[in-house]
Amino acid sequence: MNPLIEVANLSYSYRAGSGNEVAALKDITMKVFEGELLAITGRNGSGKSTLARHFNCLLTPVSGSVEVDGLSVSDKCNVASIRRQVGMVFQNPDNQLVSSIVEEDIAFGPENLGLPAEEIRRRVDWALKTLNLKNLQYESLNQLSEGQKQLVAIAGVLAMKPRCIVLDEPTAHLDPRSRREVIKNALRLNREEGITIVLLTHFMEEVTHCDRMIVMDMGEIKMEGSPREVFDSEEKIINLGLDFPVSAKLAEGLRKQGIRIPRKTINAEELIKSLCQLK
Amino acid sequence: MYIGTENLSHIYMPGTPYATKALDEVSFSVGEGDFALLIGPSGSGKSTLIQHLNGLLKPTGGRVVFEDLELGAENVDLLSLRKRVGLVFQMAEEHFFSETVYDEVAFAPRNLGLEEDLVEQNVRSALENVGLDWQEVCHRHPFQLSSGQKRLVALAAVLSIKPEVLILDEPTAGLDPGGRLHLFDLLRMLNQQTGLTVLVCTHHMDEVAALADKVLVLNRGKVVMAGPAPDIFARRQELNDLGLSLPEITEVMHCLAKKGLPARTDIYTLEQARAEINSLKRRLKK
Repeated sequence: MNPLIEVANLSYSYRAGSGNEVAALKDITMKVFEGELLAITGRNGSGKSTLARHFNCLLTPVSGSVEVDGLSVSDKCNVASIRRQVGMVFQNPDNQLVSSIVEEDIAFGPENLGLPAEEIRRRVDWALKTLNLKNLQYESLNQLSEGQKQLVAIAGVLAMKPRCIVLDEPTAHLDPRSRREVIKNALRLNREEGITIVLLTHFMEEVTHCDRMIVMDMGEIKMEGSPREVFDSEEKIINLGLDFPVSAKLAEGLRKQGIRIPRKTINAEELIKSLCQLK
Repeated sequence: MYIGTENLSHIYMPGTPYATKALDEVSFSVGEGDFALLIGPSGSGKSTLIQHLNGLLKPTGGRVVFEDLELGAENVDLLSLRKRVGLVFQMAEEHFFSETVYDEVAFAPRNLGLEEDLVEQNVRSALENVGLDWQEVCHRHPFQLSSGQKRLVALAAVLSIKPEVLILDEPTAGLDPGGRLHLFDLLRMLNQQTGLTVLVCTHHMDEVAALADKVLVLNRGKVVMAGPAPDIFARRQELNDLGLSLPEITEVMHCLAKKGLPARTDIYTLEQARAEINSLKRRLKK
């Protein structure tokens, strides 16, 4: 796979040079590969959002470099082009919805790209269809639930046809059904539309569905690999302020008690499959 | 009744074309010392309901009862209700306005007119109760703290009035797993050790299912289920139809039962699940 985003020796401090500066990222080197589903997790304040905000020029490095498809985020000339490629969805959809009607909101991005009217129409329809929002097309945004608003926010980013979508804790405020909907759609955009997804989350169950994960702490990358590789040592994960997925904990406990369950069972589906062998 | 509502209704923007009935004849009660859970899909009326319980909203119809106090459309004694029922808002740290953690936590007791030495005692015990080193944090600016610590300060800012009932609206939203566990542990401790009555509104079943004595389920402004936690969690299909979920552990047990294994499904914690699966294995061997 080709790297879409390349981060090399990135450091970032808030209030840099002011005397009470806070180092948020320390010498980070990582890549986001084209077409992958990458989870970034870590305790509150570990630097996840700060890192992700470099991916579409919301922040620029204090030192080191971040390149999106070979374009440096530090060069102001690249901002428009990079933001067209990397879209961002925030925790609270109210922070990024701008219109009062669903389809108008989704059209906001493509309108700003200066596209012809028919192309805007095509993209809005496509985004509505892809996220199953057709029935909400003419709804007023203030009538929608939080979960629906989050999907509209994703549709708005999708209509820009980005190569990569960064989702910053998109489910933190959602009820269980909306949470499943948002994650299911993120997976689908990745698998069916080939969009690179970077998912920032505190929910370990969401992480188990990703191809690769990064665990951050104190502005550094502490662990990196497939969820199965990373969820290997419970102690290490807990020391990083996180937790094992519930099913992984149960699987590990049962395995130690002599029940035949493969090592590194990380999600409910795998666990249930093994336990059915008890019959 | 210790605390609860009787036929409580609330209409937003009444008399306008936008009138919305957010609560529709809601009756429920929570007993003294209970740990109760309020769940429901977004927009079901949870936040509207709990804002009535300390008088932030007034009923359109029906009444709120707390021991001998009563809050109806007409008769209102808000102050005495708010002294005894503390409410921690969703993302409460977004409402911080003081320069130091001390002032933030002291705001409510000062507002209630307590003497400054009593205020200090309350602030100190509130910060200690949430597990913060009071000497270390009290002179810091609230914004210098981590998100988890800010949430704890927000909780302390309500505990500082020494409420008899503590109500929390999504207290763990946005917190990391360590922060979520710590917060729920704390609530359990406050409930068990000090007898504080707790009512929590949350979407995170994994952490709370084992703590709750009682569960209330709201949908579209109506109470659709209420009762002891095991009775409510046994109604899996109905909860799923409402878009709610059971704890993942419980879900796993249900799936095993559905696949024909004689597994119990009233399981809410890892320990229970481990014990049940071991016993299941023994039963199957025989």
